[in-house]
Amino acid sequence: MSNKKDSITNDDNFKNFTSSTVGDIHVEDPRIIAKNINVYYGEKIAINNVSIDIGKNEVLAMIGPSGCGKSTFLRCLNRMNDTIDSCKVEGELYLDNKNIYNKKTDVVTLRAKVGMVFQKPNPFPKSIYENVAYGPKIHGMAKNKIELDEIVVNSLERAGLFEEVKDRLDSPGTSLSGGQQQRLCIARTIAVSPEVILMDEPCSALDPIATAKVEELIYELKENFTIVIVTHAMQQAARVSQRTAYFHLGSLVEVGTTEKIFTTPQDKLTESYITGRFG
Amino acid sequence: MNNLKSRLAKEKRFELYGFISVFLALSLLSLLFISIFSQGYTAFEETRIQLKINFEQDILDPGHTKDWSVIKKSNFNLLVKNSLSEIFPDTTKRKQKKKLFKLISSSAEYQLRNEVKNNLNIIGTSKKLWVLADDDVDMLIKGHIKRNLPEDERRIDNKELEWIVTLESKKYIDKFFNKTLFTNGDSAEPEQSGVLGALIGSLFALTITLALSFPIGVATAVYLEEFASKNNKFIDFIEVNINNLAAVPSIIFGLLGLAIFLNFFGMPRSAPLVGGMVLAVMTLPRIIIPSRAALKSVPPSIKEGALGVGASNVQAVFHHVVPVALPGMLTGTIIGMAQALGESAPLLIIGMVAFIVDIPQSMTDPSTALPIQIYLWADTPERGFVERTSAAIMVLLLFLIVMNSLAVYLRKKFEKDIN
Ligand SMILES: Nc1ncnc2c1ncn2[C@@H]1O[C@H](COP(=O)(O)OP(=O)(O)OP(=O)(O)O)[C@@H](O)[C@H]1O
Ligand SMILES: [Mg+2]
Repeated sequence: MSNKKDSITNDDNFKNFTSSTVGDIHVEDPRIIAKNINVYYGEKIAINNVSIDIGKNEVLAMIGPSGCGKSTFLRCLNRMNDTIDSCKVEGELYLDNKNIYNKKTDVVTLRAKVGMVFQKPNPFPKSIYENVAYGPKIHGMAKNKIELDEIVVNSLERAGLFEEVKDRLDSPGTSLSGGQQQRLCIARTIAVSPEVILMDEPCSALDPIATAKVEELIYELKENFTIVIVTHAMQQAARVSQRTAYFHLGSLVEVGTTEKIFTTPQDKLTESYITGRFG
Repeated sequence: MNNLKSRLAKEKRFELYGFISVFLALSLLSLLFISIFSQGYTAFEETRIQLKINFEQDILDPGHTKDWSVIKKSNFNLLVKNSLSEIFPDTTKRKQKKKLFKLISSSAEYQLRNEVKNNLNIIGTSKKLWVLADDDVDMLIKGHIKRNLPEDERRIDNKELEWIVTLESKKYIDKFFNKTLFTNGDSAEPEQSGVLGALIGSLFALTITLALSFPIGVATAVYLEEFASKNNKFIDFIEVNINNLAAVPSIIFGLLGLAIFLNFFGMPRSAPLVGGMVLAVMTLPRIIIPSRAALKSVPPSIKEGALGVGASNVQAVFHHVVPVALPGMLTGTIIGMAQALGESAPLLIIGMVAFIVDIPQSMTDPSTALPIQIYLWADTPERGFVERTSAAIMVLLLFLIVMNSLAVYLRKKFEKDIN
């Protein structure tokens, strides 16, 4: 990967880099800046020259047909792609003006700052309490048991799960229902106080009621976190996000406010996808 | 319709095949158990003869020294002979007497010696003692030598039989639980031989094997599965070789042990330490392969979840992946250990096949192992060793069952902890 710069300053006129994307990829107050990102799996290119800003306290929805590279791009944001041997990332990615693909970046702190919720709920095969307490524990966020309890209860409350599980914090996380498990995973993620939460189709395994709960949660979390969510449900993107990015075959085709993308898409591809002609 | 019928018939047939194969396996297994048990159960009893021993002052301690170092040199055998002559006063001819004394195991002398050693005050008194009978007497009492055979086909002649019948009528002869089998090492005399030496040898060797192969095997599996880069030619090479090692005949490992541990490093021959090391090398691939399979079967989403909250790779592996894989790794280990327990070829090569009477006191003492004891006894013509061979097999099987139950217990326990 090319690490031309370690960090970005206002002197850099970084707003002028080229991009074939329709719509404004920039925002006023970016938390994440992706600049000319290319991702390869072996020889195959999966993300082709994608540049986009992600603002503070906004929910960005990423939509696009299956296999277009949404997950791949999302996983760049917390360097989860590092775990795939064949995966190679090029370009510059800044979180709070620090290049996260710099050799000096500590992935562990990065992933604590950029939490991730996965498509399939994946609680640890441990107790509900342990699931939430694990992150704070390894990061030394609590000085004692009382503080840890506080973090756990607080996170479960914010994930809207506490009332349902308060009597059985010791029972295994895997004994919860799918929707509860997913909210447990969200609680686990917010327990380490991240700045950004990445969600890869968090509701694809959930029923409408559980989905509604998670969406409500996303809406509340947006106050404190930057959220990037991948979704296949158009209505979901419309409901929870402020901005929407449309991916197609590894390219970022169009970005804009959610309202605009869903009402007056500029690009032909976006329009066909939104109107359900393919995908 | 026809289709459904044939599908159902197919299912039925398959079920039948399954049932037949399970039945066959079970019946062969029970046949094995029955044959071993029916041949071996008598070995758990031993024949003893009651003698009234006069601990004569003149024989043991004529000088009234009361000093064990003096007394221990006296002729304890004479006490046995005297007491036998008391029962059969008519036997006076030298040759006949010699034959009579042969009814008693040569271990009687040591039993008396211990009796005196533990209580010097016994000198001058007399006591009724049950001493071990000779193995031929034992075989006759247990019915392995038929009394109605013609004399020249019997290992016990008519005169001896007459004495035994006399002893029986006086209730001076009886069967007891065979403690000797569990307290003695090997011996040239069947009635004095036991499995303890081999059992301890096996235990020592297995301890070494476990201590070496479990940590190394698990560490290797974890490294290969979780940390090593997947597209590395060298790692591929190692993988292929581990799989090859698992298929290498065990005797080759013995030769390796002989060449490296004994000849190169000059370690002691016949020692459980070396035996354990050789078995550890042999067991390694048998632990690595199932451990890797266990690690591979852990859903990757668990590790991703841990990485997602900012755990390092090491933390994710040791906090989440390894605990989930542990039951599988333990099962693999115990199966590997069970194989090591039953292994004899590599131990033969490094000299654990010697005739060793003493119970090994440390890992470097010469010793045998259970399967080798079985091999040695099976190779001995005396009738007394036949039942002891089967008994040793039973002890080995029991050992195995205990180990396997432990494996099942541990697996259940860890699985419960996880879910
Ligand atoms: N581990 C991998 N190894 C090789 N190729 C991969 C890997 N993961 C994804 N790809 C390829 O990269 C491309 C983008 O995949 P990605 O998972 O990002 O798509 P996606 O937009 O998330 O699709 P979906 O909506 O179905 O989840 C696809 O062509 C896929 O085949
Ligand atoms: Mg995806």
